[in-house]
Amino acid sequence: MWRLMLREFRLLLRRPVLAGLVVLLPVLMIAVLIGIFRAGIPVGMAVAVVDLDHSDLSRSVSRMLDAAPELQVTHQARSLSEARALIVSGAVRGAIWLPPDFERDIARGDRPEIVTFYDNQHMSAGSMVARGARNAIDTALAGLRVSIRQGQGEAPVQAQVALQPIPLQAHALFNPAFDYVHFLLAALVPTVSQIIAAAGTAYAISLDFAPGRHPQVLVRMAGGLLPALLGKILPYTLMFLLILGLSDVALYGWLGVPLRGSLLLMAAGALLFVLAAQLIGAVAFVLTRDMGTAASIIAVITAPAFGFMGLGFPREAMSPLAQLWGAMIPGTWYVELRIDQSLRATPVEISIWPVLWLALITVGLAALALAQLARMRRTLEVGA
Amino acid sequence: MRSVWRSIEAELRAIFADPQVRSIILASLVIYALIYPLPYRAELLRDVPVVLVDLDRTTTSAELARRVDASEPVTVSADARDMAQAVRMVQERLAYGVLLIPEGFERELLRGRQSPVALYADASYFLMYQRVMQGAAVPLRQMGAEVELGRLIASGSSYVVAQAQVSPAIQVEVPLFNPVAGYATYVLPAAFVLILQQTMLMGLALVATRRSAGGGHPVWLVLGRMGAWVALYALLLPLYLIVLPFLYGLPNLGRVDAVLAIGLPFILATGLLAQCVAALFRTADVVQVVLLALGLPFFFLSGFAWPVEAIPPALNVLAQFVPSTPAIDGFVRVSQMGAQLPDVAPTLWHLWALVAAFGVACVVIETRRLNRAASLNPTPDISEPAPEQR
Repeated sequence: MWRLMLREFRLLLRRPVLAGLVVLLPVLMIAVLIGIFRAGIPVGMAVAVVDLDHSDLSRSVSRMLDAAPELQVTHQARSLSEARALIVSGAVRGAIWLPPDFERDIARGDRPEIVTFYDNQHMSAGSMVARGARNAIDTALAGLRVSIRQGQGEAPVQAQVALQPIPLQAHALFNPAFDYVHFLLAALVPTVSQIIAAAGTAYAISLDFAPGRHPQVLVRMAGGLLPALLGKILPYTLMFLLILGLSDVALYGWLGVPLRGSLLLMAAGALLFVLAAQLIGAVAFVLTRDMGTAASIIAVITAPAFGFMGLGFPREAMSPLAQLWGAMIPGTWYVELRIDQSLRATPVEISIWPVLWLALITVGLAALALAQLARMRRTLEVGA
Repeated sequence: MRSVWRSIEAELRAIFADPQVRSIILASLVIYALIYPLPYRAELLRDVPVVLVDLDRTTTSAELARRVDASEPVTVSADARDMAQAVRMVQERLAYGVLLIPEGFERELLRGRQSPVALYADASYFLMYQRVMQGAAVPLRQMGAEVELGRLIASGSSYVVAQAQVSPAIQVEVPLFNPVAGYATYVLPAAFVLILQQTMLMGLALVATRRSAGGGHPVWLVLGRMGAWVALYALLLPLYLIVLPFLYGLPNLGRVDAVLAIGLPFILATGLLAQCVAALFRTADVVQVVLLALGLPFFFLSGFAWPVEAIPPALNVLAQFVPSTPAIDGFVRVSQMGAQLPDVAPTLWHLWALVAAFGVACVVIETRRLNRAASLNPTPDISEPAPEQR
C-alpha cells in the first residue's frame, strides 16, 4: 500500500495534467469563490426616486434614501412608467414613489402613501432595496414624529422614547456580524471540493483501471483489493485535505469567520467528507469503466448538490424526496457540521450525528467500490 | 459553400454518433430538469418554528406571543424556561429563532415607559433569518403602534390626530415580477440558462477534442459548425427556456421572438467558447472535469444570485467573458420581467461581441491545427478518419 502511495505521488509529479486537476483547479476555484464573497454584504443598490411633490420634505426623504448604506439614488424619474422601464432594463433595482402634495398632506394629517417598488425577481438585491428603503423612510418619519411631539411641547428625549413603546432588540444568533462570507463560503468551498474530489479521483483511477490498463498489477503490488483501493485514493485524500485546510486557514484566520466548536470533530468530518466524495468518483468509475460516463454520473450527483444543502432554500422546507436525495450526498452533512462547529458552537452530542451519517455514507460507498473491484478482478483473471 | 455544408454535416454526425456527447447534450436535459429544481419545489417558506421564552407571563406578553404565532412567516413552536434551553433547541434545528419577553414587560408598558422585547434569529441560514425577523417585527410594530395610539387618545387627542401622529405617512411595499417571493421562480430561470450552457460546453468541447483535422478553409469550417449548433439548439433552447419553465409553472412574460433573439448569439458564443476550451485542455476527460468544476463559480459570477454590486471589479471583468453572464440577465429580464428587445440591447451587443471574439479565436485555432496537420502529414488523407481510441 505504501509503495502504491509513493508511486501515486511520483505520478502526480510526472503528469502536469493530473496535478493541474487535483491541485491547481480546486485552489483556483476556491480563490475565485472567496473573491466573489469577500465584500461580505452588498451595498449601494441603484434606485430611482419618483418625487412628484418637489417639496423640502420630499427632497429630504430622497436624501435619507441616498444615505442608507443599501441604497444609492442614481435616477430621478418623472413618472412611474419611467421608473418601471428603468427597473426592467436593469438600470435600477427599485423605485420609491412620493405622491404629489406629500408635504401638505402630512402637515394636514392626511397620511399620504409612500410606495417602494422593488425588483423581486433578483431577490437578494430586491430584498436589500426593500430593507434599505423601509429603514430610511422609518427614520424620516420618526424625525417627523419627534418634531410634531416637540411642537406640542414634549422634551426631545421623552418624545423619542414615546415613539416606540415596544422596541425590538434584534440579534443575529450565531452570526453577529451578519456576514454572507460566513455561511455562503462555509457551503461553497465544500461544494467545489466535493466536485473536484470526486472527478479528480475518478480521473486518477481511470489512469490505472481504464480498459487496456492493468489493474491486476496494482492489486498484486499492494497485496489485496482494499490496500490497492486505499493506496490509489489516500494520496489524493491528503492533497484535498491540505487544500481544504488551507482554505479553512483563509476563512477562519484571514477572513475572521468564527470557529467556536470542536476542531477534532471538524477534522474527523473533513476526513470522512473527502473520502466519501472521492469514493463517489471511484464507484462511478469502477462501475462504468469509462471516464466520460463516470463524469456524467459525478455531474448529476455533485453539480446540483449546492441546492440540496439548504443554505439558500432550507432543507426543512423541501419535499421528503429532496431531503432524502440531499441526505445521501456527503456535502450536505459536512456543511451542516461546519456550520454547527464554526458559527453555532453546537454541543458535540448533537453535532456527532452529521459525522455518523458521513461515516455511514463512506462505508457504504467503500463497500460498493470493493465489491465491484472484486468482480472486476475475477473477470480479469478468468480472461487472462 | 460546399465546405460549409460538409462542416455542418460532420459536426452533426459527430454529435449524434458519439454516445457520450449524446448523453451529455440530450439525456442530461431530462436528468437535470428533474434534479435541479427538486429542492425548490416548495417555493415558499411558511411557519418557521420559533421558541418563546416568556419571563413575564402576563396577559400582554401572551397576547404578543399569540400575534407573532398568527403571522404567516413564523409559528411559535415551543416554550422554553430560559435562554439556554431555547438556544439548545435552535442548535438541534428544532427552531430558528427565539422570542424573549423580559420580566416586567407588561408593567413597563402600563407605566408608559419603553418595554423592549428581544428577538434572536438564526443567522446561519439567511432565509430563515429573514422570515423570523419579518414574522416578529410586523406584529410587534403593530402592537407598539396600538399602545402609542392608546396613550395619545388617553391624553386627550382625537383618534384621527393620534393616528396621524403615530404614523404620519403609510409605507407600502410592492414587490415586482416575483410578488410572492417564490424561491423556484427566483432561482430556476437562471439555473436553466446555466445548465444549458454547461451541457452545451461539455458536449461540444468533447466533440472538438475528438475531431481529426478536416479539410477546407478554417472560416468555412467554423461557420459550418456554427450552423450545426444553431440547427440543433433551435430545438433544444426553447425546450430549456420556454417549455421547462412552463412545466414548472414559472411566470412567463417573454415573447418567443425576444427569447430567440438572445438565444442565437448565446448559442453561437457558447459553441465557440467550447472550441476554445477544447483547444486549451486537449483531452476529453480533462475538459469534462474542468467544466464540471466551473459551473458553480459561473453561476455566482453572473451577478444573478449575488448582486453584481458586491462582486470585485476584477472578477466582474472576468465574468463578462462567460456567455451565461449576459445571457442569464437578458433571458430573465425578457421572460420574467417582460423586457422588450430595446431594453436588453446591451445584452445583445455583449453576446455578439463575444461571438466575434471567440469566432476569431476559433479561426486562429483551426488555422494552426491545419498547419500542424499539414506539416505532420504532407499528403492529406481524404479517407474517413478512424474513430479516436479512448
